[in-house]
Amino acid sequence: MADPDERSRGVALARAARRGDTLAMSDLLDHLTPHVGRICGRICGPAAAAGRQDAVQETLTAVFRGLRSLRDVDALYGWVRVLAVREAVRVARRDGRDTPAELAALPSPGDAQLAADIRDVLSRLTPEHRAVLLLRDVEGLDERAAAGLLGIPEGTVKSRLHRARTVFRRMWTA
Amino acid sequence: MTTDDPTAPLDPVRRLHVMAAGIRGARVTEGVVDAPFDRVWSVMGDLEGEFGRFQPDMRSVRVLHRDGDRLAALARSRYGMRARFDGVIRPGWCWLQSRFLVVGMAAVADGTGATRVALTGGVRVPGRAALVPLGTRREPRLALARLQQRVDGRA
Repeated sequence: MADPDERSRGVALARAARRGDTLAMSDLLDHLTPHVGRICGRICGPAAAAGRQDAVQETLTAVFRGLRSLRDVDALYGWVRVLAVREAVRVARRDGRDTPAELAALPSPGDAQLAADIRDVLSRLTPEHRAVLLLRDVEGLDERAAAGLLGIPEGTVKSRLHRARTVFRRMWTA
Repeated sequence: MTTDDPTAPLDPVRRLHVMAAGIRGARVTEGVVDAPFDRVWSVMGDLEGEFGRFQPDMRSVRVLHRDGDRLAALARSRYGMRARFDGVIRPGWCWLQSRFLVVGMAAVADGTGATRVALTGGVRVPGRAALVPLGTRREPRLALARLQQRVDGRA
């Protein structure tokens, strides 16, 4: 989704959708679904396929309901990301804290066993810890951006990330 | 997106609900057709044939051209009006839009050998994502019943 052409296309579709073009809405849905699916998949985990679909559906429903009132359409992707993280954490919390996390979308280290081990450890974290680790350490967001996405203060991101890393390290070395 | 893939981010019926959530006035009628997905979609997706036999307001559709999953079609309603539709059609998903009308259909295998289907549509409100449903509330239900009959007829 970092490709500027793709982003321009998404923003153009969103503008057309706001004007009432429902075919543009259908195209926008095609365009955003993989992006939202990746975010929700990482937080909900692969074992929770129905949960992930719930999170994706809730996110996109919120996107389409709010699209007309979105003040700055150029901010589409940041706004969609906020909604996706929020819905995924909510659904993961609802469905229990022991669902495995999805690492398939991450860059492969070329070591399947390592990926499996990381996946295993992540699967035992709470959704809140998993979300903050993925946003900060995998997606590379800064504290401010992660705080905005998760709807918590920056200080909480910092302390939660510290705890998540501590728990991860403890499980990793156990 | 395959229609029976549990790992797909969003199945077509959920997708139709998302579309309806963004279109003021859109109503989704959902039901289960007791037949496998392929058989059900062979009826729903047959725009020039079966489509006009189960949809309440369409009499005939002629596809003008197709390019991948995009299409343009000329439709004639039961009330005699003609309209050019642009849209997208692929297994489990069809969305057609003319200047005045919208038709949306979705189907997904429900995992038990039957197929969950959903319909929406209506008259467009200019300048915004809004619809006024055509006909009575019963009509989409009747369309689903007719769909089941058409599918049974192909068994």
